[in-house]
Amino acid sequence: MWVTLCPAAAYRSRARQPAAIGIWRALRRPLFVAFVLGCTMSLITSAGLTPRLAGSATVYWSFVPLAEMVGLAAACGRGGRTLAFPRAIDLFFAGHGPWLFWLIGLSAIWSFTPPIRAFALTNAIWLYGAGGFALLWSAYVDFCFFRFALARSMARAGRDLVLHRLISWTIILAIFGGPAIPPAVAARLGW
Amino acid sequence: MVTALRWTAAGLLAASMFAGAIADSPPPHRELVLGGYHVLAADFHVHAFPLSWATLAPWDTVVEARRQGLDAIAIVGHNHVWVSRVGRWFSRLVGGPVVLTGEEIVSPRYHLLAIGIQDTIGWRQPVASAIAEVHRQGGVAIAAHPTARYWPAYDAKAMAELDGAEVLHPLVYASAELAGQLRQFYGRAPLTAIGDSDYHGLGPVGLCRTYVFAKEVSEAGILDAVRHARTVVYDGGRAYGDARLIQLAGALRRSVPPVPFLGWFSRIGGVLGLGIAAIAGFKSQ
Repeated sequence: MWVTLCPAAAYRSRARQPAAIGIWRALRRPLFVAFVLGCTMSLITSAGLTPRLAGSATVYWSFVPLAEMVGLAAACGRGGRTLAFPRAIDLFFAGHGPWLFWLIGLSAIWSFTPPIRAFALTNAIWLYGAGGFALLWSAYVDFCFFRFALARSMARAGRDLVLHRLISWTIILAIFGGPAIPPAVAARLGW
Repeated sequence: MVTALRWTAAGLLAASMFAGAIADSPPPHRELVLGGYHVLAADFHVHAFPLSWATLAPWDTVVEARRQGLDAIAIVGHNHVWVSRVGRWFSRLVGGPVVLTGEEIVSPRYHLLAIGIQDTIGWRQPVASAIAEVHRQGGVAIAAHPTARYWPAYDAKAMAELDGAEVLHPLVYASAELAGQLRQFYGRAPLTAIGDSDYHGLGPVGLCRTYVFAKEVSEAGILDAVRHARTVVYDGGRAYGDARLIQLAGALRRSVPPVPFLGWFSRIGGVLGLGIAAIAGFKSQ
């Protein structure tokens, strides 16, 4: 909870700790993120946790942490690394609290609310309200990661955050919903 | 403390998955024939991962459709058809529901379901020419969630060629105004009544569904029924579709079965287990 609630202090402290970790330690948090995604997909559609859906969805939703690792590699690689990449992965994914709690909340809405009510709750409150909050909160947490764990300047940390989002979110959005994006943009622009 | 939390989370998640696996059985499939027609529960607006803002892969979607008692689904990719082909291949392999291939043509001015087509239809064209292309490929064209913002795209020519319109869609649960707009559009022309869940992974597939009166249980049989307006859609106390079929199908109104104890256990354990696992994961840093 520390990284999620007090990211600046947590990352300052973590950056001082021993850096050498193995591949398993580096991947366990990304795997946990994929697992939570898989379980969420099961809970929101079948209102239960079934190995059939959770297992299968965990596998194909692991594209999200993978895309984030690609973005992280690009951001970390710019201008030299102050942390070993496995350690950077572990620390970066420790800051995924906002999104994990948002996903668990979404699961709770669809698990305990009748679908007809859940539609109204999801759109108005969870997707736009809580989703927007998670978006900003996670941006702040990740900014602190670049600023304190990687010891970057304020401006550089901001640029790294933007680069990470640009790369990883482009991959995620393209895979998740790519073909509908151009017409949606065209509609927004009034074409 | 952290170890205790981790074991609690692991125990809850394991028990929840076990309960979920036991509760995860499809309802017994029963064939229904009324007035000489096979009555099929169908959802013509189902999206699958990837590329369509959907959470479940086509194979999981097919199994989930069977679990929700659907006889037929149309998997419609946003501006592509290849994911629906995967779904159809998988369903044939496992003896699942009839899967119609299709596309939701997502254009800035309209969203159109092209059901029963083989090749992707471009979105940069007027709706009337998209409908003509759907028909050329042997499919049926259904207006997807035709709320007022999409009405200008449907000119007289398009309305004359359109096969059906979604009169029931999850939008109706979010807004009475939008529900009224769907009904208004449906009333503009003699269209086949369609109820679809616009399934993206949120909620059960087939939450809104269409009862199709088909001469045969096949893709061709279902397309023929939609073409000839042999459908019935229930929206609470309302019924849409062919008056004779509504009368015939009076007993079809679907009641949502109660959630069994194991289902509740799986939900509560799953959400609690994930929450505790997330907290324990962060505490351990």
